[in-house]
Amino acid sequence: MEIRLSCVLLAAALTSGCAWLHRGEHRPAPVGVEGSSGEASGEAPIIEPQVTRRVVKTPKIKATDFELGAYFGALSIQDFGTNPIYGARAAYHVTEDIFMEGFIARSTAGTTSLQDVFPSITVVSNSGRRFTYYDVDVGYNILPGEVFLGRGRAFNTDLYTTVGMGDVKFADKDQFALNFGVGMRILLTDWVAMHMDVRDHVFETDLTGRTKNVDNIEGTLGFTVFY
Amino acid sequence: MPRLLPLVLLLQAILVGRALAAKPQLQLLVTQPFLQMRTGPGRGYPVFYVVGRGEKVTVLYSRTDWYKVRAPRGEEGWTSRADLAQTTQASGAPAPIPPYPDFATHRWEIGAGYGVYNRQNLVTAYADFALTDSLDAEFVVQQAFGTLDNREIATLGLRHTFIPEWRRFSPTVGIGTGYQYTQAKVPPNPLETGNQLAYVSLGARGFITRRFMWRFDWRSYVIFTKQNANQEPQEWKFGLAVFF
Repeated sequence: MEIRLSCVLLAAALTSGCAWLHRGEHRPAPVGVEGSSGEASGEAPIIEPQVTRRVVKTPKIKATDFELGAYFGALSIQDFGTNPIYGARAAYHVTEDIFMEGFIARSTAGTTSLQDVFPSITVVSNSGRRFTYYDVDVGYNILPGEVFLGRGRAFNTDLYTTVGMGDVKFADKDQFALNFGVGMRILLTDWVAMHMDVRDHVFETDLTGRTKNVDNIEGTLGFTVFY
Repeated sequence: MPRLLPLVLLLQAILVGRALAAKPQLQLLVTQPFLQMRTGPGRGYPVFYVVGRGEKVTVLYSRTDWYKVRAPRGEEGWTSRADLAQTTQASGAPAPIPPYPDFATHRWEIGAGYGVYNRQNLVTAYADFALTDSLDAEFVVQQAFGTLDNREIATLGLRHTFIPEWRRFSPTVGIGTGYQYTQAKVPPNPLETGNQLAYVSLGARGFITRRFMWRFDWRSYVIFTKQNANQEPQEWKFGLAVFF
């Protein structure tokens, strides 16, 4: 690396040295007719260029590969009932098939059946009831298609699957969680999409006494904007 | 109502301003025998309209490898990058479709991945800026999940790619520094919750498709503690990234 770096530096020094040696050689010839008869006799130059060069600027094509939105739905926290959840999502579409997506969401757990029967038992504290997660996912559009509403309307759709991982914070502890999901994206316009998702967040916990993997399945409805 | 008047005027001004500021749209001339327009931005969507040679299309926007175009009579549909690349500008110049960033000379990289840090699961995300073709500055944030504690780590480092021209597999080496925050899951609390650290890394990167790439990294850390010995955990990780 050192040799390579010194090579680069040496090359840069040489180039600048050469440029210095050749300075002024390619100076553009002065425009106008100075030194000709016009200037000598004190007359105005015969041709006065008045046309400025027109700068043609090609309009850029706007790319709409990013998707940003919010979702809400129900999250079933294993052993703690089903509760509302809301979150935000952002995606980047790499190709027509592959996208990368990030999620962040929050829910609050209910009580366990055990706690319903024996109210004095506390499995998680009140602050620990908060269930938050973040995920980074890779998604694949498996089944692109169209859906029809009545006779005259068609919407483009994608049935996609996502897999990823992230952090679930529950019972005041951060746990490593994997997630698997299937979803459907319905493009209401080219800019606005509606999402219906089912995703499972799997992580290991010992909250109820023994260590086990818990499945926390969410069903959500979301809206996103492409930009 | 009078109170609302300024608001209405402001809104109107914004709308008019936006309309005036509307950018000129790109028009391209179809020089191939025909240009197919599909109902959606994907290879499976049906072709519903064809623009003939000599006609002009207006390019509205793109999504991945597909371009939304408007035909002379107002029909709008999606055409592929390869098809649109065959059209020309009015001056005869080739269509100004931005080329894919070259993998060997790309500037930015953003990615995420999975790894194992000191036998703990690790979630990692990073952003990487190329100082030269072979030297990158990388910023990494990661979270390690252990049975006894969780660690949040942020690092800043330099990475050298030996042969950036090798697309499918190119080895890398790196060095950097950072900070680790430790959070106990079970008592007792750790002696120190925040530590500075340094690392050396060995890795590899490779091109997958379009803007998509993979990266593998192995790191050996030195975590500076106030105890008699420093900690020296190791880590490996695999990530996927997009480059620009």
